[in-house]
Amino acid sequence: MKPLGLYVHFPFCIKKCHYCDFLSFEKISYEIIADYCNAVIKEIEKRKQDLNDYTVDTIFLGGGTPSLIPEESLEKIIVSIYNNFHIANDIEFTIESNPKTLSKEKLDFFLSSGINRISMGVQALDDTLLNFIGRVHSVQDFYKNYYEAREAGFRNINTDLIFAIPNQSMKKWQDTMEGIIELKPEHISFYSLKYEEGTPFYERYSSGEWTENDEEDRNMYWHAVNKLRRKGYIHYEISNAAVPGYECRHNLKYWSMEEYLGIGLGAHSYLRNLRFSNERDLNKYIQNANNMEDNRIWIYQNKIKDDISEFIFTGLRKRKGICLNDFNERFKGSIEQFFPKEIDNLLSGNWIEIKENQMMLTDRGVDVSNSIMSKFIIL
Amino acid sequence: MGEGKRYRMRQNNIRNFSIIAHIDHGKSTLADRILEQTGLISQRDMKEQFLDNMDIERERGITIKLQTTRLVYKAKDGQEYIFNLIDTPGHVDFNYEVSRSLAACEGALLIVDATQGVEAQTLANAYLALEEDLEIVPVINKIDLSSARPDEVKKEIEDILGIEAENAPLISAKEGINIEDVLEAVVQRIPAPSGNTDESLKALIFDSYYDNYKGVVVYTRIFDGTIKKGDRIKMMASKKNYEVTETGVFAPFPTPVSSLKAGDVGYITASIKQVADARVGDTITGAEHPTEKPLPGYKKVIPMVYCGIYPAEGEKYENVKDALEKLQVNDAAFVFEPETSTALGFGFRCGFLGLLHMEIIQERLEREFDLGIITTSPSVIYKVVKTDGAVEMIQNPSNLPSVQQIDYMEEPIVEADIMVPNEYVGNIMELCQERRGVMKHMEYLDANRVVLHYDMPLNEVIYDFFDALKSKTRGYGSLDYDLKGYERSRLVKLDILLNKEPVDAFSMIVHESKAQYRGKFVCEKLKEVIPRHMFAVPIQASVGAKIIARETVKPLRKDVLSKCYGGDISRKKKLLEKQKEGKKRMRQFGEVEVPQEAFTAVLKYDEKK
Repeated sequence: MKPLGLYVHFPFCIKKCHYCDFLSFEKISYEIIADYCNAVIKEIEKRKQDLNDYTVDTIFLGGGTPSLIPEESLEKIIVSIYNNFHIANDIEFTIESNPKTLSKEKLDFFLSSGINRISMGVQALDDTLLNFIGRVHSVQDFYKNYYEAREAGFRNINTDLIFAIPNQSMKKWQDTMEGIIELKPEHISFYSLKYEEGTPFYERYSSGEWTENDEEDRNMYWHAVNKLRRKGYIHYEISNAAVPGYECRHNLKYWSMEEYLGIGLGAHSYLRNLRFSNERDLNKYIQNANNMEDNRIWIYQNKIKDDISEFIFTGLRKRKGICLNDFNERFKGSIEQFFPKEIDNLLSGNWIEIKENQMMLTDRGVDVSNSIMSKFIIL
Repeated sequence: MGEGKRYRMRQNNIRNFSIIAHIDHGKSTLADRILEQTGLISQRDMKEQFLDNMDIERERGITIKLQTTRLVYKAKDGQEYIFNLIDTPGHVDFNYEVSRSLAACEGALLIVDATQGVEAQTLANAYLALEEDLEIVPVINKIDLSSARPDEVKKEIEDILGIEAENAPLISAKEGINIEDVLEAVVQRIPAPSGNTDESLKALIFDSYYDNYKGVVVYTRIFDGTIKKGDRIKMMASKKNYEVTETGVFAPFPTPVSSLKAGDVGYITASIKQVADARVGDTITGAEHPTEKPLPGYKKVIPMVYCGIYPAEGEKYENVKDALEKLQVNDAAFVFEPETSTALGFGFRCGFLGLLHMEIIQERLEREFDLGIITTSPSVIYKVVKTDGAVEMIQNPSNLPSVQQIDYMEEPIVEADIMVPNEYVGNIMELCQERRGVMKHMEYLDANRVVLHYDMPLNEVIYDFFDALKSKTRGYGSLDYDLKGYERSRLVKLDILLNKEPVDAFSMIVHESKAQYRGKFVCEKLKEVIPRHMFAVPIQASVGAKIIARETVKPLRKDVLSKCYGGDISRKKKLLEKQKEGKKRMRQFGEVEVPQEAFTAVLKYDEKK
């Protein structure tokens, strides 16, 4: 049996945040949400037949805000997953949540359904900033839910943070880091704010209201990394750190060219050397699923050059980098044979390093990782 | 009626004429109206500005290649007239071609914009026409515009050009107003051609183009004699002999006729391989009974401006070579030869009549041939006198001998006539002074307009002078120039270094006093267009070993993508691919990546600087 990661997308939020360009809708009726959940179940049933040789060892319920989904619908989906796929005993089962959407009852229900990891989108420990970026919750809401999750019995909690928010001083960011680390979550994600096209923040950014301050951004980033390292966290991926043993196995699949299946609106998959993604129109998705029609709108068979590029650029997201033996085995040749000049220049510029058969970004390489990764793209 | 008499009657009813004007005064539009009115082309079939048949010409509103058309006009006197309308190129770079096509005519319509009045090229073209002894018929165009001032413009024409303008037709070519007045003026005022069919053949080549099936199609005006299929002919300057395979007229498309006789304008083909063998200005005569003296005025056109043209990244050398050969077949004034650059690899050194000619060739390579090319800084031809007395003509800065070997250098000087409205004289004098111009004299055309006569180094004109002139006069200034000769000058080679390595494609020869300014300008421009790298990129300008300007492209501080959601690797991959593709389109100099546009950016006039 081959291992498989399973992702299920829930594209609904109470309210879209000002910076968010993910596929998610706000203010959607419960009828539509119920219809959507039924469609998801249809898709699970449809996929079942080609997955007999796989065991699902990670599940990630992402969004949107999956913690918004009514218990009844969520239970049906989880039951459907258990009934249709082989499930590993040591499964990592994550649900994403936003503070204020959780309650003691809901958390108990999650645990009883087999969910053993919860990710909380706290973003900042500062009410002014939370309000500014369009979050619906307060710092207090987060603390309440966090303690409730611990009390309910969650032993693996992630907190999502955002830095480089306009008007967020270094001091405020330091305070947020300090406050979060005090809670000792097993896992911390920290992302710098990006102005994505089509978002309200992008409008304000492109109208010149704010400028990007790369220097400050990098200072905040390295403050977080250094602090986390001091507190015993492993900085295992560019934007993620964890207590040893609590690295997110599901997300690591993305960075390791391991297989995963995405279910739901706009979800992406990498399976049997195919990359594919689903319909992004909510009504069409529901309709197709009800008619038992294929909801995939894009299917791409990876060529060797794609595999090589992806193996390297995804692998370099991990701080331990890529295993050169793995590379040799997969591609029947060493990475130096494929990219002699690039490797040479990057090594001599101290952008990457190679030790114990692993090739990884140096700290200074992290800051310009896109430039480095793009050198390994084969067009 | 005998053959000869019938012919003479026909000859009396021929009118050979050109239309001359300052750019944008409506020359091509009037030509279109004339074609329409004589029924040659219906409005429906007509592409706007029929005679400008290259896309670039239509877009820029200028004529580069000549077009010639024969039309038949039934005049008010009841007789039918044959009009040979010979269009002329509308730019200073093509003065010689203009003068040859005028030499094929007996008269010219001088179009003057009723809102703008007489301008630099109105003057220049009128003088060319007067030199050829043509009957000039002024025509005042755009009278439909509210700002038209026909009476003042008439007076200008009389005062400035000394041409009677009292009866000048007042027209609007755009609206088709009073076009018939123009046609009648052609009949009444432009003389019929003279010339004798019984004498030896004497015909002027005033243009040519290459046809894949027929070879070179030669545009010609017959002055004496007759030419027909099967005749053996001789080009008097190139001394080559051919046998005529076809004679014809443009009606408006090439239409074979049995012969062309004295007074006629038409074309011949004679299996000629390239246009350089049928040079504009050359005289065609019979191989057996040649005429004694060729027609006057032949001169071989010589390129004044040179630049390197190189295949861009991903473009094949052979493709560029093929395209240049094809262009040359059709353009005797364009020359090229292979050269190599350490920065750009294998390419070509190309010679042009002027900057516009250069831009047109570049654009045609890109558009018609769909080629990716890089153009190096333009250069004029410098005369280098070496310490051993040897003289070298240098048009590529890379070939400049070392400083120790040079005794002195000379650079080409042009006589520039700049016409500007009064209020901008100060601006332009300042500009010309900046460009090392020496004012010869200044003429008031009227209370508002001034012609400034300057001697100016050509190398100051070729970079961005014209753009600067336009910008400093809100588009009203105009320029005309002619080579005067060479003068001794203190010139130096300016090198540009990227990451401490010289890039020969950016090298240029400049006057000592301009090195600092140019060097700084180029460094600043490059700083704007070179993207941030993972390391700091110093950009330096040097003369010899001395660094005279420096800028630095700061290193990338942050180029990191954070979120990859729900396993959407493809989105991230696309971003990285875009980044990589962007780099692919760049030129790599050592570790430094330079976008293609950098090569043109350093040449562009910048108002802020």
